Amino acid sequence: MICSDLIKEFMEKGRSDSCPVIDMHQHMGPFQGIYFPNPSPEDMIRTMNRCGVKMGVFCSHAALIDPEANIEMAQVVKRYPDRFRAYWCINPNYPEGIPKEINQFSKMEGFVGFKFLSDYHKYPITSPRYKPALEYAEDHELLVLMHTWGRSPYDSPALVEKLAEKYRHVTFLMGHSGYGEWERSIQVARDYPNVYLELTAAYAVNGVIEWMVKEAGSEKILFGTDLPWFDPHYGIGCVLFSRITDEDRHNILHRNAGRLLQPFL
Amino acid sequence: MKFFDCNASFGKPMIKPIRYAETARDLLEEMDFYGIDEAVVFHSRQRDDSPVVGNKILMNEIEGIERLHGTLAILPPQTGELGSLENLVETMKAKNICAFRAFPAEHKYLMTKTALGSLYELMIERNIPLFISVNESCGGISGWYLIEKILSDAPDLTLIVTEHGSWGHDRFFRPLIEKYENLYLDISRYELDGGIRDFCDKYGAERLLFGTGFPKWNPGGPILMLAQADITRKEREMIASGNLQRILGRVKL
Repeated sequence: MICSDLIKEFMEKGRSDSCPVIDMHQHMGPFQGIYFPNPSPEDMIRTMNRCGVKMGVFCSHAALIDPEANIEMAQVVKRYPDRFRAYWCINPNYPEGIPKEINQFSKMEGFVGFKFLSDYHKYPITSPRYKPALEYAEDHELLVLMHTWGRSPYDSPALVEKLAEKYRHVTFLMGHSGYGEWERSIQVARDYPNVYLELTAAYAVNGVIEWMVKEAGSEKILFGTDLPWFDPHYGIGCVLFSRITDEDRHNILHRNAGRLLQPFL
Repeated sequence: MKFFDCNASFGKPMIKPIRYAETARDLLEEMDFYGIDEAVVFHSRQRDDSPVVGNKILMNEIEGIERLHGTLAILPPQTGELGSLENLVETMKAKNICAFRAFPAEHKYLMTKTALGSLYELMIERNIPLFISVNESCGGISGWYLIEKILSDAPDLTLIVTEHGSWGHDRFFRPLIEKYENLYLDISRYELDGGIRDFCDKYGAERLLFGTGFPKWNPGGPILMLAQADITRKEREMIASGNLQRILGRVKL
């Protein structure tokens, strides 16, 4: 088997003291098309403890649907400040409420930025409906996690590039790394200092992590799991068993995220 | 822990994956990298080309390699392309073939009793498992309707469903697991957090099989997930290799 101290440690103990994982793409609560054994914040913390995940940044499933559910996430962060931060979801189907939402957001603690789910909400990330949130994020140097998918008319890597060019002080996390359109996604992450590849689901594609590390650098890759969807050990295993160095594994699993989260801790 | 992969392939696929193993020897090197001991395999030409061509390539490639166990792609016997059922069994015996595999969408046939009844009878009589990828068949709801159709036509068939996708399939497969005792699931994409433990609590560990989905999927995922699954060591070992060994040990050629 491949020789790596980190692999040995995770295979034996399920976690690593020297590699405390940060999960930059989580959800929370039950959802439409899936049965979850572990959907509550407490369930998720149990999983995170088992897998050596020290912190998760989440957007609840309820908030993906109803903007009013965003506020509830602040309570979870308040209850578990050492374990969670949250993304405020912008649903462009309800544009009339967005200015008020941003006002609420500005007064709340526990949020690191915004979440866009454009493939599901059916408005492109370049839609003017996102503009108030993007301008606020630009002014306050926030993170924006976007669901991104290859060749999507709503959130393809080409559309991410347009935003990255315009909003230079926003840090864009390409959720799922523009799944399937790897070459273009990697190029955007390589060319723009404010764009990161986020690995949820993408990690399962054999060889893609090596490709990202080679072309974009492990400093531009973030770990995520969609928890409570996916067992973090699955994604961690994909990172560990890729043909990269332990330094790259540390960058992906916690160092890069730790750097981005520093202003919000 | 010994890992016996129920879902791996090699060869040069029509659509080039990012990483792949062109030959059986290349696949062994990949398995060594991940610490995988044995694998039930197919050759990509069995899926992407005529099964007649692909089956021959597979048998030549794995000849003499004890760690690799081949599966033959099936077709409806009515076209006669695969020869008689008796000859098929003789070939399996001679060439280290332990199971059949179906690609009904690619090879364009119906998985009905009308088309495959005699093959189902052979498989049941000799305990030969049938592998089918629910994603390659149709995926999602349609794929699981097909699985239920196969099992309702042949309830005693040992059916191993591979690569069922990661986006929540428990509502599809749990009713089938309860009804059909010879249905088994490959865990290569069973990524659901707490899924393996929840499944084992309800149904035991006998019905899950370790698989990687190589070359399409990264084997590191299922390896660490299973190694650290919140179940007993004995259950982990059953899923990692014991269940598949038991299934293949029952095959009568």
